[in-house]
Amino acid sequence: MAFLDNSGDIILDAVLTEAGRRRMANGDFSITKFALGDDEIDYSLYNKNHPSGSAYYDLTILQTPVFEAMTQVNAGINYGLLKNTSTDLLYLPVMKTNELSALELGNIAKSSGVFYTRDTGGNTGNGDTNNILKALLSGSIQSMGGTDSSTNFVALETGLDTGFGNIPAGTMLNRQSYLAANNLIDITLYVFVDSRFFTNVLGVNSSATNFANDGGADAHELNAEVSLVSSTATDLTIGLDNYVAYKVQTVGNQIYNYSANNTEQTYSVIGGPRGIFGAVSPVVKSGLDAEYTLYGTTNNTTLLPGATVNYIDTTIYVQGASTSAQVQIPVRIIRIA
Amino acid sequence: MAVTTFENLASSDITTTRTLLHESIPLTGTIISGTYSDLNIKNYTHGQFQSVYDYPYLSSSANHIFDISIGFDESSPLSGATGNLQQDKKINMYNQFSQVLLGYTGSTNQVRKFELDLTLDNSGVMNESLFLNFSRLITKDQIKKGTVSVSLGTGSWADPFGNVKTLTDASASATGGTLNTLGGDYGLLYSTDNVARGLVFYESGVVVLSTSSFDGVTDFYSASAGTSSIAQMFVSSSITASCDALRHRVQNISFNNSTEINSTIYFCRVPHNDYNHSANPTYLSASTIRVKSVNTDTPIAYITTIGLYSSDNELLAVAKLSEPLRKDPTNELTLRVRLDY
Repeated sequence: MAFLDNSGDIILDAVLTEAGRRRMANGDFSITKFALGDDEIDYSLYNKNHPSGSAYYDLTILQTPVFEAMTQVNAGINYGLLKNTSTDLLYLPVMKTNELSALELGNIAKSSGVFYTRDTGGNTGNGDTNNILKALLSGSIQSMGGTDSSTNFVALETGLDTGFGNIPAGTMLNRQSYLAANNLIDITLYVFVDSRFFTNVLGVNSSATNFANDGGADAHELNAEVSLVSSTATDLTIGLDNYVAYKVQTVGNQIYNYSANNTEQTYSVIGGPRGIFGAVSPVVKSGLDAEYTLYGTTNNTTLLPGATVNYIDTTIYVQGASTSAQVQIPVRIIRIA
Repeated sequence: MAVTTFENLASSDITTTRTLLHESIPLTGTIISGTYSDLNIKNYTHGQFQSVYDYPYLSSSANHIFDISIGFDESSPLSGATGNLQQDKKINMYNQFSQVLLGYTGSTNQVRKFELDLTLDNSGVMNESLFLNFSRLITKDQIKKGTVSVSLGTGSWADPFGNVKTLTDASASATGGTLNTLGGDYGLLYSTDNVARGLVFYESGVVVLSTSSFDGVTDFYSASAGTSSIAQMFVSSSITASCDALRHRVQNISFNNSTEINSTIYFCRVPHNDYNHSANPTYLSASTIRVKSVNTDTPIAYITTIGLYSSDNELLAVAKLSEPLRKDPTNELTLRVRLDY
């Protein structure tokens, strides 16, 4: 993957991808739309304080060398340009995982940098592998149900994370004017999982989920409940082999900044106006066995004291359907060896 | 991450073009005979032709550039001569070239004979021929008409290039000077005295040389003057040895090849009011757009990549700009992406 010669006129280097060649061989090659990307750009190089003036603010960015085109589908566009027509936006939402224990809704936190999910297919000799694994994982390690139906999940929030105490504050009014008015509320999320390990993704049931801090009258306690439901598959591609996409629902994030008894920081990781609250709980494929040898680690005796386990580390990608805000969720599938 | 923001291409945004590309192909005689001490010459046990590579052929870097063979028609006076070596194979080679390039004629379906004219009327017949058939690697789609030059040494065996005869197809062009046959268009190779001494089949990439180029050379294939004319070679030398002798007398071969490029051009029109923001993680710092200080500042994004997609969102082609292109609401861009086939 060399750089393109940028010493003269602007040139365009175009190649067919593997998928393009395959479709050409199949006789169904038809290009109907395009998208724009800027993966090489580091916007932190935009220097608004350049001593020579505004003409030089983006000098370093414009000198960024660009890699030549590659034929792998996943080497195309990772972060696209957005179609938002508003020109007066100063803020765009981000997505974060909420691991706060104060929620007590079943949201889990990372242990050693990963979120755990259980595979009950292990052989313990007595059959009750899920409870044994649960018992082993209890304590400092939290986990999702995996192959067992469960209420545990990875909680997600979007919003303008400008920092607690900074403007714009996370008020209801700011949520409306900064997010909703600019179509920056993700009603759905796209969740991309490795189909070799997962068969579905549980997300929130939007009609039975609530996430607000208007409980206890003016105490602004958490008023929330989460109900999980299976999601539907979609044909959206991420460009990674074996990855498939699911579309999960979200609910409005009604954790607000209040002038008195402000509890927003207790329940939310977004320091500013909040968009949505969502959940992701991947359903582990039953019958995983050889996959632990092929893609993971087997017969580990140090991860869970007193137990021999197999595990696979993988990544789940989540992206907002409207804002393209995104987060990567590192997941470890674990079972008794 | 998945791209979810697309711009549709209208039918008027897609057009096709056809372009002919030409490359100059010089084959110097030292490559053909000398530079690699014939390690780049491949002979076969069947002995029907010889292959010339641009590098010792046992190396994976070697490219096959052309083959050499000789042959005569069975009606040739040389056919049936006493002591004729590989007579059947020489006839077979002549027939194979003629049946593919010229086809058959008459009620008994006789293969046509090569003729040193553009009429195929059985006059100017070449009963004995030397064949140079070039690989597709260097001729590509076809040899460009009017660009062929073959320089042959007609001096003594010891000093073959003491006299040089240069054959060219200068009378052939894209609009005339050729005849269309089964093997495609062919033109005539003339020496500087304006005598036709060979043919060139442009689409097939085959040069057919007449023995007349070497008339009067009595030591064509060895130092034994008087007993090694080209006619004597056709009788008493194997095809392989004859190919060696011809290589000894090739000073230069050059031509231009042609490649037909069919292109589809996609005009990717980027409206002024779209694509001014980015999902690039570095675009934000604490949720604030880095390129703006206040909300009235102009949003800016920089384009480096154009992805072309199918209707079901599969990435079929990628185009990269050699340098980032600034996009803001004050400009509207048309990016012209060309895919060649």
